[in-house]
Amino acid sequence: MKKPTYSIESPAAPLVQRNWWVYVVLTLVCLVNFVPYLWVVMTGFMDGASASSATPAWFFTPSLEAFHYLIVEKGIMKNFFNSVIVSLASTFFSVTIGMFCAYALARYDFTGRDDVSFWVLTNRMMPPVAVLIPIFVTFQTAGLLDTLVGLVILYTAMQLPFVVWMLTGYFRDIPRRYEESAMVDGDTWFAAFRKVTLPLMMPSITATSIFVMILSWNEFAFATFLTSTQAKTMPPAIMAYSIGADIRWNVLGAAVVLITAPLILFVLLLQRQLISGLSQGTVRK
Amino acid sequence: MADLQIDNLAKTFKGGFEAVRGISLDVADREAVFLLGPSGAGKTTTLRLVAGLEEAGAGRIMIGGRDVTQWTPRERNLAMVYDKHSLFPHLSVFENLAYPLRIRKMAEGDIRRHIAGVAETLQIEKFLERRPNQLSGGQMQRVAIGRALVRDADVFLLDEPISHLDAQLRARMRVEFKRLQREFKATMLYVSHDQLEAMTMADRIVLINKGRIEQIAAPQDLFDRPETLFAATFVGEPPMNVMKAVISEANGCHSLRVGDTYIEVDHDWMQDGEAVKPGGNYVLGLRPQQLCLNPPDAEHPCRVQGKVFAVETLGSRVVFDIEVEGQVIRAMTTIDAALKYPRAIGAPIAFRIDPDFVYLFDADTGRTVRQARFTRQRAARHHT
Repeated sequence: MKKPTYSIESPAAPLVQRNWWVYVVLTLVCLVNFVPYLWVVMTGFMDGASASSATPAWFFTPSLEAFHYLIVEKGIMKNFFNSVIVSLASTFFSVTIGMFCAYALARYDFTGRDDVSFWVLTNRMMPPVAVLIPIFVTFQTAGLLDTLVGLVILYTAMQLPFVVWMLTGYFRDIPRRYEESAMVDGDTWFAAFRKVTLPLMMPSITATSIFVMILSWNEFAFATFLTSTQAKTMPPAIMAYSIGADIRWNVLGAAVVLITAPLILFVLLLQRQLISGLSQGTVRK
Repeated sequence: MADLQIDNLAKTFKGGFEAVRGISLDVADREAVFLLGPSGAGKTTTLRLVAGLEEAGAGRIMIGGRDVTQWTPRERNLAMVYDKHSLFPHLSVFENLAYPLRIRKMAEGDIRRHIAGVAETLQIEKFLERRPNQLSGGQMQRVAIGRALVRDADVFLLDEPISHLDAQLRARMRVEFKRLQREFKATMLYVSHDQLEAMTMADRIVLINKGRIEQIAAPQDLFDRPETLFAATFVGEPPMNVMKAVISEANGCHSLRVGDTYIEVDHDWMQDGEAVKPGGNYVLGLRPQQLCLNPPDAEHPCRVQGKVFAVETLGSRVVFDIEVEGQVIRAMTTIDAALKYPRAIGAPIAFRIDPDFVYLFDADTGRTVRQARFTRQRAARHHT
């Protein structure tokens, strides 16, 4: 008997990867994205002479000269820890407050609910620069200029709309019945929320937190205007090395390494949660 | 266990949709009462009101003699099973079953004992360590029922717990449910849109339509003596044939015209109870099971001539859709009897109407004016 040349496949079976050109495209995209970054990182490990030489070299003797300059002489770690504190704190506050906000928007049908959620969205439509001056004056009056507390408050306020908007959708994806089951079983509303809804929301909350943290970490405009010495964060601190007539490329490269390394580590560690959080709703039955 | 009384319960949702408009019913201790009705009738809303998940607009709910209308869900001590999403996906089957017990601060040893007992009854011991998403639909619903059974709830509320399972499994679960209900001596309020479920499992059925109760009766009574036209047509498969009733009177004898045949009905049946005016607006009801097929040439006073419109084969039974003067009337017959009749569309066929099996409804109010005569005889036999 002749063997059949075809194989029987379930219609639900995943498609077999046959399109090799996908990898060509992916490789190209990766090259375009990563080569400039790789170059900057390499520059960071060069000494002053080879970094500013006219003929770029792929091979060089690594040196920590630029890092030494930044960390020991310029004390950039103070800015670094400012950034860490500000982004962690603002992420914590915006996600905690935003979570309850989003829950209310997703679960309760109150008058003006749609208006509230639209208003939340409009907050993101306004360019931040438009309120730079008013906020500067407000901070000046409140004595918040150049303080970490001020930045934390500001970033929390800035990130809240984003958090609320993202989490509202995720909360809607979680059937209300889970909470109701818990309540009928004898839980209070809050216990049901804590024991059932929150664990189910964890991937989404993690993903949202990562986004918020990245945004806070990279925030530049407000940080530049509202801080000077005490509370200066990484982005404005690094800016100082990229202006002027005589740019020291290796110092700038080292600064770039310092500002991006935590984010890269962070995302690498949490990428599983990030992906499952982003794809939540599409995967669930 | 406890009894449940619902008194004139009403709920209007935002936007003015009246989901439940004045429902009163009671469930006796250890009774299985079914809320049956089409989708959107207010069955689930009623159940949610009883559970305390919705706030009642009006009316009263009493459990075990105590007014619980204002109580929160957790104070009511009820157990609820949904059609899906009853189990928490982030907890193992064991933890799902333990959830209500942990809330009650039960000791770990007692929890294990309780769960072991229930798991054995429901045959879910093997999956205790699995996650809900590793279970099949039937297993999942069994666990959900188990979660309701592990604690001593006063009333069990079930919202179509088996309607998403496949037909074979559903049939098995129906039997299992009935057994469990007896075994656990449970007071049960069960929502279903499936009349088969209600007919097979209920002690009593509450038929709901558009937020109101149409009829409360035991399954067989609901089938035999429907109080409204809705009840008559909703219960029964295939549904009851209904047509405009043409009543004529001659020499004190009443007859109903179907097609070109006059069917003489019993004199006493016509006279007893509410007066039936020959010119009034009435609807005639005939169950397909109670129509008898006849060859087109046979002679019989109650024979109606028609044409085959369609034939539906159900395996053990055959339903003939017969066209009579532009109207389709269904007659159900056994497979053996069906062999004698033509199945070609348009072929002449006839059927016989037994006047004892004729229902009469008021077309304006939808109420039953005359129950079929055979039900009186059956009731009389019951009494002797």
